[in-house]
Amino acid sequence: MEQPLKETIRQNPKKILGVNPDDAKVALAYLSVSFVSLLIGGILGLLQGLERAGLMQLPSWLNYYQVLTAHGVLLLLVFTATFTIGYQYANLSHSFGGLLAKVRKLAWIGFGLMIIGVVMVATMIILNEASVLYTFYPPLAAHPVFYIGLVFVVLGIWSCCFGVFINYRHWRKNHPGQPTPILAFFAMGVFVLWLFASVGVTIEVLTLIPWSMGIIETTNVMVGRTLFWWFGHTLVNIWYLVATSAWYVIVPKIIGGHHFKEKLIRLVVILLVILNIPGGFHHQIIDPAISIPIKYLHVFMSLAIAVPSLMTAFAMFAVFERTGRKLGGKGLFGWLKKLPWGDVRFLAPMIAMISFIPGGAGGIVNTSNQLNQVIHNTMWVVGHFHVTVGMSVVMTFFGICYWLIPYLAKRVLTPKMSKIGVIQTIIWTIGMTIMAGSMHIAGLFGDPRRTSDTSYGGHEIAASWMSYELIFGIGATFLMIAVIIQVYAVFNMMFFAPKGHTEFPVAEPEEGEEPAPMWTERWGLWIVLLLAVVAMAYVVPIADMIMNAPPGSPPIKTW
Amino acid sequence: MKQAIYGLILYIFLILPPVANLLESIMIIHMHMQMPLLVFSGFLMGRYVITRFSSFFEKWNSNGIPGILLFVIIWSYWMVPRAMDEALTLQSVEMFKFISLPFLAGIPLRDSWKKLHAIGKDILFIYFISMLILMAWIYIGADDQICNNYLIVEQKTLGWGSLALAACVLLYLLQLLFTDQSEYQ
Ligand code: HEM
Ligand SMILES: [Cu+2]
Repeated sequence: MEQPLKETIRQNPKKILGVNPDDAKVALAYLSVSFVSLLIGGILGLLQGLERAGLMQLPSWLNYYQVLTAHGVLLLLVFTATFTIGYQYANLSHSFGGLLAKVRKLAWIGFGLMIIGVVMVATMIILNEASVLYTFYPPLAAHPVFYIGLVFVVLGIWSCCFGVFINYRHWRKNHPGQPTPILAFFAMGVFVLWLFASVGVTIEVLTLIPWSMGIIETTNVMVGRTLFWWFGHTLVNIWYLVATSAWYVIVPKIIGGHHFKEKLIRLVVILLVILNIPGGFHHQIIDPAISIPIKYLHVFMSLAIAVPSLMTAFAMFAVFERTGRKLGGKGLFGWLKKLPWGDVRFLAPMIAMISFIPGGAGGIVNTSNQLNQVIHNTMWVVGHFHVTVGMSVVMTFFGICYWLIPYLAKRVLTPKMSKIGVIQTIIWTIGMTIMAGSMHIAGLFGDPRRTSDTSYGGHEIAASWMSYELIFGIGATFLMIAVIIQVYAVFNMMFFAPKGHTEFPVAEPEEGEEPAPMWTERWGLWIVLLLAVVAMAYVVPIADMIMNAPPGSPPIKTW
Repeated sequence: MKQAIYGLILYIFLILPPVANLLESIMIIHMHMQMPLLVFSGFLMGRYVITRFSSFFEKWNSNGIPGILLFVIIWSYWMVPRAMDEALTLQSVEMFKFISLPFLAGIPLRDSWKKLHAIGKDILFIYFISMLILMAWIYIGADDQICNNYLIVEQKTLGWGSLALAACVLLYLLQLLFTDQSEYQ
């Protein structure tokens, strides 16, 4: 039965009015910055690829480590962070029927702070005062302005975190006994994790500022690295949570199905939030100053993250099969054919999910002590995170663009643009597969990462890496083409596509599914558990590093 | 029922010698991870025990207070440094640990928790907080080695860890106080 118009307006005003234009502006501003960073970061990636391949020599005023630092910072921090905020704020606005005015203001304040911060950071990199790579841990020391810029970026993110919390509390208060819409639940997970992830790096950066200014003479390198990976590792899982929000909730709608049991989805979010942070230690398997039993216990912690990942894989394939069969797919794999492979909104996140299989397998290699000895700091690692971030996460983000941006800009996705998206997806897939594949192999043979010249005077082992490095260059070229297409698509959909109405694809639960249990909304409890897990995991190594500290390190500038 | 089986699996896992040795090799993990996990395994197994022997629990633990007292006594005993030390040196004490924590602390906790009034729960939380702060004070403050089996650095680590946990429990209480619990019904 048709709902009377009045009822629809009251209960679901977005259906008629579309997105609130003020909220759309916030999201579009963040997304614009995001894709400008992708373009610049991509160009820098190509330069690196070509330099490694020996096809090009960077000019004397621009060295490899400057480029590498900028590539890491722009893509790993700026691109992903701004995309996440734009997308999550759009989700929140959609779920709650509009943001509160003060929350929107917080998002704009965050935007301003982040821009100021990024400009400071970028300036220092360009001036060659901060070639410390995106990990910026001591003893490499950048100009103080670089670290101060990072503080601004963090403050901007916090502003966005508090915006989300305020809006959530507001909604919670006005809807007693009602579970929050699932996308808003994801947003809570993302921003809670972000807030606590950034605590570690903030402490680190605040100690590095006086150290780089010469006010304090030395710093504790091990503590710095540990605090960095507290953040660095958690950041990875923030992207992953953002991507899974689309996998669980958006993709099922696009293929015409329902989402999986909401209770399980929420459990995955809660587990990821509580267990995540201590995983940071798997980046320090080779570091001294952490005892073997502690490292061993942390292998458990990081493999614990595999549990929600496997739950996700199971749930997604269950949804695909169910939907494919409903559409008439027969036999063991017939349902696969029924999925809308020609629709970029499905194709891109689907390839992203598939690439999570090799990505996850590689991750298990990295986190295993003995195997880590072989691949540590080789190109394998670079190959690994270009598969996980560059495919699983980034391709999901790309896929989201093809409905989110038209929706926000009140335009439509034309069939032509959808086709361009499919082509983009294919080129990106080919480029990443080639580049990351050869990086994995070169790494197994010992090719080091983060090194501009790996010819080692023509040594035969080094010579054996050459052909793989040439392949990085080929992959990088494909990727650059794909970046250009993607950036074109994004800005075309934002400003030039035909006006019209685009749906925000949110899947519904299956018929007769029970609503999500209210205990999942106990964020206070989840946060306390998160803190307890962090306390237990960090107190041993940090106390040891401080009480048995070696002499600290002065700031070191190797360039 | 499933819960009870998970509890049993967790229990068996925890008492496997290599697992127990690893967890006991680090002081804070011994106290703040192995022991709570043992209690937790008992808590899960309690599902079976309590329904199986419901009349027993009805008779002896009708208002939850005897059970919670037993829990507090067992728990406090294991917070004594000497008890931890002995668990590492004497096989019999180690066995007592594996029996007392799940069966004399975990199960009574489960049976009592839902029977307790709000005030009883608050008292228990305050007991936890004060116990943890007391331990923080002792372990951070002591300049001598308290346990034969653990170094001073581990002792201090345990102290700081206890302080952090006290802060977590306090935070939990505060958020209970300041959020409207009816929202979650
Ligand atoms: C146009 C596409 C891309 C190309 C051609 C490319 C290429 C490269 C190359 C050649 C390296 C150098 C490795 C080394 O010397 O150690 C690198 C490093 C890196 N890339 Fe990319 N990449 C691309 C996209 C991305 C994306 C989308 C991300 C993340 C969102 C990303 C994140 C990183 C990071 C974090 C590093 C490591 C920096 C470091 O070790 O400090 N890249 N990339
Ligand atoms: Cu990690």
